[in-house]
Amino acid sequence: MQPMPSMGYDRAITVFSPDGRLFQVEYAREAVKRGTTSVGIKCTDGIVLAVDKRVSSRLVEAPSVEKIYQIDDHIAAATCGLVADARVLVDRARVEAQVNKITYNEPIDVTILVKKICDFKQLYTQHGGVRPFGVALLVGGITAEPRLFETDPSGALIEYKATAIGSGRNVVMEIFEEKYKDNIRMDGAIDLALEALYKATEEKISETTVEIATIDAKTKTYRKLPVKEVAAHVAKAIKKGSSSKESGKG
Amino acid sequence: MPVKTKQARRLVVEKTYARPARFVRLKPVGFPIKELHRNYFVNVEREDLFEIYAKEQWMGSVIATGDYLFDQRVIPDFAYQVTKVLPSGVVKIAEDTIVEIEKPEVKEDRGAVEGGVKLKDVIGHGHVKRKCKIVMKYLEDPESFGGWAPKNVLFHGAPGTGKTMTAKALANEVKARFFKVRATDLVGEFVGDGSKRIHELYSMAADSAPAIVFIDEVDAVGLDRAYQSVRGDVAEVVNALLSELDGVKENPGVVTIAATNSPALLDRAIRSRFEEELEFKIPTKDERLAILKHYVRTLPMEVDADLGRYLSRTEGFSGRDLKEKLLKGALYRAILEDAEKIVERHLDEALKEIDLALSRPPGEMFT
Repeated sequence: MQPMPSMGYDRAITVFSPDGRLFQVEYAREAVKRGTTSVGIKCTDGIVLAVDKRVSSRLVEAPSVEKIYQIDDHIAAATCGLVADARVLVDRARVEAQVNKITYNEPIDVTILVKKICDFKQLYTQHGGVRPFGVALLVGGITAEPRLFETDPSGALIEYKATAIGSGRNVVMEIFEEKYKDNIRMDGAIDLALEALYKATEEKISETTVEIATIDAKTKTYRKLPVKEVAAHVAKAIKKGSSSKESGKG
Repeated sequence: MPVKTKQARRLVVEKTYARPARFVRLKPVGFPIKELHRNYFVNVEREDLFEIYAKEQWMGSVIATGDYLFDQRVIPDFAYQVTKVLPSGVVKIAEDTIVEIEKPEVKEDRGAVEGGVKLKDVIGHGHVKRKCKIVMKYLEDPESFGGWAPKNVLFHGAPGTGKTMTAKALANEVKARFFKVRATDLVGEFVGDGSKRIHELYSMAADSAPAIVFIDEVDAVGLDRAYQSVRGDVAEVVNALLSELDGVKENPGVVTIAATNSPALLDRAIRSRFEEELEFKIPTKDERLAILKHYVRTLPMEVDADLGRYLSRTEGFSGRDLKEKLLKGALYRAILEDAEKIVERHLDEALKEIDLALSRPPGEMFT
């Protein structure tokens, strides 16, 4: 379908439609939905980020497809949407984190970092000649306690206990609504995240397509799970998913 | 068989004595001259009045089975065929002749629907089939639904996913009248034509209720106001549709099904009048196999290939792509080679030439 000019309200991002919408920004959110699913869960002892990656051919070196980025020792981001836009934002976030460390001699507060990212995104919705970032970020980190934020292409930010972005968002959110508990621990959170990914990908997860990262609340350090550990978690999720399906049938 | 005109018959008969008829049955046939955009559909509202009307015109006419009678009060003349007379032979319509009108047979009147597609030939789309069943149930027994009848349904989805095919299948299976219109036909030459055609269509449908009106490519006329300047003036058509779909005038017993590739272009008010929007999705792996198997059965040439091999390589293909691009391409290749059957090589070559890259967003750009 060739998009037709809707009276020009979707040509420039700086123009509101009569009912107060910014169509280009809304279209940027569609770009986020084109991405595969990323989930984030806040638990009592840290943050869990887990993603499903698109590995289009077996010739692709799977680790080169990145969806989770470390931003500082204590902060990481899972991305969804345009790869290139995501990298630019992540680079920016890393610099902001270092600037803070050098200026104030302390690790950056997660809230402050997320607000800086969102300020940057917002600039690209208000000026002429630019286009919005077609990417959403799940930013997780530890300040005094675990924090998890979602930022969208408009520059809006919301703090969540558990959330998801990308194509499988609706499926995942339904599962989280039902199963998330405030006292969830990291092991449980990883299991829940993979259970959600298993359903969101229509039961197609494997150790090469799943990435998991955790940030521990006590040590305040980021850790990406090695393939072996991911494989164990994936196997567990598949086993659980297929057995619950069978019992559901019976 | 040469048509025996009334006049020719009369010449022969005038010399002989024609007995007065006891009974005459007439069948509405149609206009001798085709008037554009008019259906040959006659709906007799009161049979007793029709009898008087018929006798008033044709009193004294000498007829036999197979003759035509022209209704000269309708312009152009409308033809009825005499299908039965009693006593048999040549008779004259007299004062006490009973004139009966033959009810049009619903099946034959529906207009030919191409191919014999049935709902079971539609692969996948379970939610759509469920809705079709409701519509069929409703049309079989409209009273039982009361005020909760299904009214307007919108089919949307990527091109080639079976929207029109499902409508055809529905037309083949229901015993109600089925009006199939292309939306482009509804845009007239002059201002006012379009809305007139829509009102005509719906009054025809309402007269023959229960009926289904199927509007293909509805986005051609149901455009959102923002896009109307692009398409020329279709505002009147939009407004006509709005009032017919669910407006001041109710059309009991008329179910409208509309199909479009791009529901986003539709006028918001039109869109809201559809009780359900059924999306036709690109077929999954298993559905693709079922589709391929289905079409392979109808191919004029045997296929000697493992269809399972083509499932992963046809990701994102619609049903039409599979049929028209893959199978047809392979068939034509086989015909050109004077081959006896289609082998995997033909399919491979056909597949190689299909470029669906444009219809799919580049996956590598997104993460």
